Amino acid sequence: MSKFLLEAKNLRKTYTLGHVKVPVLRGASFTLAQGEWVAILGSSGSGKSTLLHLLGLLDECDADSGGVWFDGDPVADLKFSARNSYRNQSVGFVFQFYHLLPELSVLENALLPNMVNAGMSWWSKRAQAQKQATELLDAFGLSHRLTHRPAELSGGERQRVAIARALANQPRVLLADEPTGNLDTKTGGEILDLIAAKHRNGLSIAMVTHDPAVAARADRVVKLVDGCVAG
Amino acid sequence: MNTRMRLQHSTISRVYPVQLANRYLTSRIIPLIAVAAVALCVALVVIVVSVMSGFLDMLRASGRTLMGDVVISCPIRGIPWYEQLIDTIEKLPEAQAATPLIDTYGLVRMPYPEGSEKEVVTANVWGIEPQGFNRVTDFSKALYWKPPTSPEAAALMLPDDPRLKLNQNILNDGLDLMKSATGEPGLVLGMHVSIANERMRDGSYRPRYQWFMPRQSVTLTLVPISAKGTIAEPRERVFPVVNEFKSGVYQIDKNRVMISLSEAQKLLRMDAGTLYDMQAPPNADGSLPVLGTSPAKVHKVLVRAKPGVTPDQLQAAVSSAYEKFAFDISQDPSKAVKAPRVESVTILTWEQHLRDLIAPVEKEREMMRILFSIVYLVCAGLVLSIFWAIVQEKTRDVGILRSVGASRLGILWIFLQYGLVIGAIGGLFGVGLGWLVIHNINFIHETIGQDAPAWSYITSFLIALVSLAMCVRGAMTGVLLSTLLWLVLGITLAIVGAGLMLHRGTLIWDPSVYYFATIPDQVDWFTAISTWFGAVIFSVLGASIPAAKAADIHPVRALRYE
Repeated sequence: MSKFLLEAKNLRKTYTLGHVKVPVLRGASFTLAQGEWVAILGSSGSGKSTLLHLLGLLDECDADSGGVWFDGDPVADLKFSARNSYRNQSVGFVFQFYHLLPELSVLENALLPNMVNAGMSWWSKRAQAQKQATELLDAFGLSHRLTHRPAELSGGERQRVAIARALANQPRVLLADEPTGNLDTKTGGEILDLIAAKHRNGLSIAMVTHDPAVAARADRVVKLVDGCVAG
Repeated sequence: MNTRMRLQHSTISRVYPVQLANRYLTSRIIPLIAVAAVALCVALVVIVVSVMSGFLDMLRASGRTLMGDVVISCPIRGIPWYEQLIDTIEKLPEAQAATPLIDTYGLVRMPYPEGSEKEVVTANVWGIEPQGFNRVTDFSKALYWKPPTSPEAAALMLPDDPRLKLNQNILNDGLDLMKSATGEPGLVLGMHVSIANERMRDGSYRPRYQWFMPRQSVTLTLVPISAKGTIAEPRERVFPVVNEFKSGVYQIDKNRVMISLSEAQKLLRMDAGTLYDMQAPPNADGSLPVLGTSPAKVHKVLVRAKPGVTPDQLQAAVSSAYEKFAFDISQDPSKAVKAPRVESVTILTWEQHLRDLIAPVEKEREMMRILFSIVYLVCAGLVLSIFWAIVQEKTRDVGILRSVGASRLGILWIFLQYGLVIGAIGGLFGVGLGWLVIHNINFIHETIGQDAPAWSYITSFLIALVSLAMCVRGAMTGVLLSTLLWLVLGITLAIVGAGLMLHRGTLIWDPSVYYFATIPDQVDWFTAISTWFGAVIFSVLGASIPAAKAADIHPVRALRYE
């Protein structure tokens, strides 16, 4: 068994914009141990979000070279349905711009991963899933907002809903892409407190940020410069 | 727990697409636009094809009602010994009844106007044996002036309907083609031959200018034509009008009159007589030697099929029977006048007989189907565009769903359901709208046919004024959208008001062109149901293409979609 929960080795990734090839990752490697919180720090264009997307299989075009391993297994070998399951159950995503579905209520957004996972058994699992999601949202201070739409929430509240959604299926890794990037310092601090609380309960976290102060909350910081891990 | 183990036990949900499709449908205005577009397309096809199909069905039903199932014709020469032919045909297992018919043209001198200069109209004159004719066609049903058959039927009539005051004699006189009070042979007019009948909105008639035709007499003039095609001296006779008939086919009701067969034969010199030998020297008393009897003749024999026998089957049986009849007559030395050979007569089914009438309508209907199928394709393109816009708008949602593990098929299924529901509901609304229009099409037509009432354009102008005032108010507050909407509403209503004010009754469905006095008002349910299915299929297809495109986008690209 691998000593790392999530591992990336020598990742290279080039995007083509029109006729121009833009190398984003140039042999970046990354490790995340079970229960560890790692901040990936870098300036804009350093390739930190691309690294996170490859770790979470959000970019279905795999890296040009190198690979990603989850719990010792190479994720590049996974079929389509297994990749969907990986995104649904093994990792949870939090984005800078929240990315909540505007037509769904707070509770429904938080339940989305459960609904996607449950299949036709959803109706029998629904009550239990709703109870868990309600408890989580209650812990995040959103019990009075369950039936509200995202448009009716503040930025901090939206990000808390997004975190609740990311944790709905109790993933082993939280992949957070600038989770406080769109929030003021105070609200950002509250969000980091929530994440830290979950980390204390054993959640492994890979968090992308360009803010050294935010990165300082992590157990370890990985600096990314021009697509390579520095130092 | 091992990752691979967890992944192998995962399942793909079929629940969230239902919930999401439901939310997308109920929380946006764009699905309503798509539903409206589908509904209008479906209604358009249902209305047009239903009217055309109804028109064709009415034409066929009326044609059969008036002709029976098979017609034997020999227009100029006539068919002698037709009683024997009818006996032969009525013994056929395929035939229910047969009746002779004189079919010619004549002049009818009407009783109006007052004074000596009476109106004269040309008419298609049918000489019939009323009882036999009634067995082959629905003559008794076609007679218009008769008392209501039951209190329920009477209750359905308007209080001023003249039929409520009629007694059974008028119907009997029509059925016998005889004025029972005087014993005179009578004449039945088509409902629109005279100018005296005014059609009401409920389809009933009122005598106009006090000219109730069954109390009048007309003079009928016929021109006898010999077997060689020469014209003899016209003959005329005054007939009391005993009733009027309404077949439903305007061209027939406008042109046809009926008298008894014997009267028609007398006027056309087609009645029975003595046949003299013109070549032989005269007898001692100066008279010509007699060759035999010249039988009465008719132009046509109408035959009705027994229930379950098709017109084609009857046609084959009648052709054989006629051949045998002509052969028997030719072999009978006592009959100096022979029947025309089978090659000299035409034996046609009612549909073949009315081919000239039916074929153009059939072609027109098919042309309409093709034209409106093209319109339908345009509508399908419209639906595709709407779905394209909907899916484009939802591209980021697709990325969010993919990021939480939704499959491509799950994404596709959301939008397919979306299309399915829009197609099904839009199609249902379309069929409903089509039914509503078709059901009231004669009322709508009559309303369009009248001048617009003053209140309609005054109301339009008033609302237009209010809208324009709101537009000015919007402009002053600087809100562009409301200013524009009020302006569009104001201008539209002003144009509608002007249109209504200038509108003068327009006759769209002219019975002299379209045969029938009323527009068919029955929905063609086969077309309605197949169009509904078409709407569902086109909507699902229209949704599937952009949905498949969206499902193929990588999650991260969908999330970054602007």
